[in-house]
Amino acid sequence: MIDFGFTVSPSSRINLDKCDKKSFSALAALEPDVLKCMACGSCSASCTAAHFEPTSVRRAILSLQNGQVEQALDLLKSCMLCGKCTMVCPRGINTRHLIISIQKIYGK
Amino acid sequence: MKKNILVIGGGPAGLEASANLKRLGYNVILIEKDKQLGGHLAKWDRLFPDGVSAKQTLNALLDEVSGVNCFTETEVQQLNVLEKSYNAILSNGITILADAVLLASGFDLFKAEKKEEYGYGIYEGVITNADLEEAFREKKLPAKHPQAIGFVHCVGSRDEKAGNPACSKVCCATAVKQACEVKEVYPDADVYCFYMDLRMFGRHYEDLYLKAQKEFGIRFIRGRVSEVAETTDGRLQVKAEDTLSSKPLKVTLDMLVLMAGMRPSESGKSVGRQLNLTTEEDGFFSSADNLLSIQRSKLPGFFYAGACTGAKTLPDTLHEARSAAIEIDRYIKEKFSEK
Amino acid sequence: MTRLLIAAGQHVTPEGIIDRYPNSYNHFVLPFVIGISFILVYLLIGLIRVLYHLTGEDRIKLLKSLFIPKTALKNLKDIFCDCLIHTKIWERKPLLGYMHSAIAFGWFMLIVLGHLEVALFAPRHLEGISEGSLYYPIFYRFFIWINPEHETLRGTVFFFLMDFFLLYVLSGIGLAMFKRVRSIALGMRHTTKPSLADRVALYCLWAIFPLRLLAESFTADLSGGSFLTKPVNWMFRAFFGNELNFMPTWWAYSICLGLFFLAMPFSRYMHILTEPLLILMRNAGLKVRKPRKGFAEAEIYACSSCGLCIDACPMNTQKKNLKYSSVYFIRFLRRHNNRKINEIADKCLMCGKCAAICPVGVNSPEIRRVQRETLNNSISYDYSYLDNIAEEKLTSEASAKGKVLYFAGCMSHLTPKIIKSVESLLKASGTEYEFMDKDSGICCGRPLMLAGKTEAARKTIQANKALIEASGCKTLLLSCPICLKVFKEEYGLKGIEILHYTQLVDKLVKEGKIAPQKGSVSMVYHDPCELGRGCGIYNEPRNVLSAIGDLKKAPKEKDESICCGYSLGSMTLEEKDRSKIAESSVDNLMAGNPECIVTACPMCYRAIRSKSPVPVKDFAEIVAENMKQ
Repeated sequence: MIDFGFTVSPSSRINLDKCDKKSFSALAALEPDVLKCMACGSCSASCTAAHFEPTSVRRAILSLQNGQVEQALDLLKSCMLCGKCTMVCPRGINTRHLIISIQKIYGK
Repeated sequence: MKKNILVIGGGPAGLEASANLKRLGYNVILIEKDKQLGGHLAKWDRLFPDGVSAKQTLNALLDEVSGVNCFTETEVQQLNVLEKSYNAILSNGITILADAVLLASGFDLFKAEKKEEYGYGIYEGVITNADLEEAFREKKLPAKHPQAIGFVHCVGSRDEKAGNPACSKVCCATAVKQACEVKEVYPDADVYCFYMDLRMFGRHYEDLYLKAQKEFGIRFIRGRVSEVAETTDGRLQVKAEDTLSSKPLKVTLDMLVLMAGMRPSESGKSVGRQLNLTTEEDGFFSSADNLLSIQRSKLPGFFYAGACTGAKTLPDTLHEARSAAIEIDRYIKEKFSEK
Repeated sequence: MTRLLIAAGQHVTPEGIIDRYPNSYNHFVLPFVIGISFILVYLLIGLIRVLYHLTGEDRIKLLKSLFIPKTALKNLKDIFCDCLIHTKIWERKPLLGYMHSAIAFGWFMLIVLGHLEVALFAPRHLEGISEGSLYYPIFYRFFIWINPEHETLRGTVFFFLMDFFLLYVLSGIGLAMFKRVRSIALGMRHTTKPSLADRVALYCLWAIFPLRLLAESFTADLSGGSFLTKPVNWMFRAFFGNELNFMPTWWAYSICLGLFFLAMPFSRYMHILTEPLLILMRNAGLKVRKPRKGFAEAEIYACSSCGLCIDACPMNTQKKNLKYSSVYFIRFLRRHNNRKINEIADKCLMCGKCAAICPVGVNSPEIRRVQRETLNNSISYDYSYLDNIAEEKLTSEASAKGKVLYFAGCMSHLTPKIIKSVESLLKASGTEYEFMDKDSGICCGRPLMLAGKTEAARKTIQANKALIEASGCKTLLLSCPICLKVFKEEYGLKGIEILHYTQLVDKLVKEGKIAPQKGSVSMVYHDPCELGRGCGIYNEPRNVLSAIGDLKKAPKEKDESICCGYSLGSMTLEEKDRSKIAESSVDNLMAGNPECIVTACPMCYRAIRSKSPVPVKDFAEIVAENMKQ
């Protein structure tokens, strides 16, 4: 195969083949609600911390599904666990426990 | 002798079914709890996707039911199952022996004040889809020129907390229709639609969506509104996430229209309690089979049409009404030709 | 008869009391001596353990508290009321209270009177272990012979008192047996399943006093007796003759006592001995620092496993959740079952009702919180943005000097009605105020504390504190009880009055700055957990509401109110379970068919609204609607 140099710079594409599906299953076992998100954005919209820093449970879940663990943790590190997202979530996701579980499973 | 059929509910489903049953040669008794026939259709101004007049549509339905015994402002007080028929005592004192009963009790609009954070009943500028239709019908739109107007989809739909996990099916198209209509009246205003998923599934619905974008410049924001607050000058500050750009967003509006979803009607529930009819988790009645016989209940001779078995569009409801008439006809023929 | 008077004449006291046995010893005392020695050693080791695990600071605090007259008095009062009379149980369930006080106070009096008798009539036997001071006062009636001709009035009074208290205890034991069979009769729906040690101790406890009655009755003709023991003695003598039953009964009595003491540390009855220590530590103001050691250990061993907390727990609406009650939590802590400990700790709503009704006063929600700390405190976070906010604010000038500063908190922003009503009341009363978190704010820190992220909570507390102090406000007004609790307990805001809006409105009404209009609407008030049990605010909202309408009582109210189910306390409770709890909370409120429900917490407001068949109003909302023009 001829090398056209496309592999020189790393691909910015999300590669689902390389996702850590094991950790995600562990997370889903600990807090099954992680599977319920329909990405409506209510959590991020009402988030107290998101006013100051990029914080979003919705995006964190998506990032984990896409294998972007660092990004997911970054999106949760400012969270103050105030619970507004739990109150507004239309799917009744237990976001506070989900956030702690993500941090426990993926955090260092 | 003509067989008696009791139709409970004088909305589109009840009207269309009655007309068809009458045509099939039955003696139809139609009861309606409100003063006038037509259900929610009577309260609407225009209908999606083409914006035809609700009044004209209703009148067409009403023309068909001439000759049907209609009792308005009447409810079922007691309903008993007899061996081969149903005995209904009505609130107007009349007792009916019906060979079959069709329940077309429809839906109630979700009570928008239950979504506390949207401020319905708290802020003047927050209204519901029904309020807006009424304003159009009565030509009583806010005189002051609104600079910005928002529509919130899925209010009390797809919401476990509100007790309704299901989609109400018609709100997306209604919101887009109303957004266009509002923009027609206030061409200078910015109009936003806050949606979770845009479900424009029917024929011409997509055209409506395209028209809203292209002709009316309506801005569609993919994100559910989470909070509404009042600014110091009495306008509405709305918070949502623009999930497509992954940023929390706020916008100041003068009017916010809540797309209240469909809940099983209270009057239907009271009939259900009398006969111990089963409901599914969403609160709507459960059919004998959700594919093959949506119109049949588990009780022989008791049928459903329209939104009492889940959210429906108007054409769906009318189809169901017609098929319910056929089902009832089949039931009566099978039941009473045995001898 | 003379066979029993082996050592007659050896020690004759002026009253004619004679030791019947040489050295005042008989083998039957052995089981008791072993039991009592074991329990004393166990207690001593336990005490040392508990004290060892306290921080140095706490130890000094405890020691000092013993010498502060006010605390010392409170200690005495609490020990008398809680350990002996059980006033807390009396208040809620009189029959159960009687049962407890009969056994505890009755037994205590028997011991005290027994020792007094010995001190008065045979003081030699209290002089040391070798004289039998460990067992002699307990088996006094066995060892002595009293010359009936020398019986004194003083002696008779003792005989009467001893019989009286024995009867008192026996009545309690009788109730206890009845309760085992039918707990509902004493006002308990659920009761705990006893463990093996519990059962051994329980049956021993049941047997001790009837056996004591028998044993003392058999010797009543020798060592004296009164209205209870004398007739029994006469009856037995008439039917069986006395001597045959004499020794076995005393043996059985001693064995039961010994066994009871041996089983005690492993059973629920440990609380009888550990409760006084807990009272001392609690009155000294100690706090739980580790979930299993120090103060917590004192609490764990003071739990009587009575199971009152099972009925109290709001989760009891579903049978599957009964296992999360405090009593089981503490049982697993005793057994070091970590998986269960964490599971229960995470599930709890932290509504505090179990602690409020606990007869021993075990604050198990606090132990749960500290247990969560062990797992969650180390979770990383990054609150550096808080520093920037605080810094910016500190350089600007005080904006709320001398005014009321209104902090709505995160949750109130989801209930705009509350904010709007509070603001309208502030305006109506002419109160000058600033709205601290109108557009955005920092969380109060309580949710973090509840989750066990105490270190992180300190950060948000620090940031808010800096902002509030810089504002120069005189009063901090809160509409969320969750905030209120943490502001009161953890912020240490000096010179700033911290008020919930129910308190402020009550004050404004009393000052005549707002005048509520009396109407006829009937209402019931729901006590939010953090406001009522958390901060002790029960009367202020009721004062104002009774001036507005007909305030009805809910069957369970004030410190017994049922959590709305949406408390931030629980980490793992599912939406469906919460919804069930909300229903039961509403059922309780609807018992008197009120026309409306009033509450004073954004979470309760939302939860109760979602289930209530009648309108639900916020406290500020209903006041704002019912003001004289």
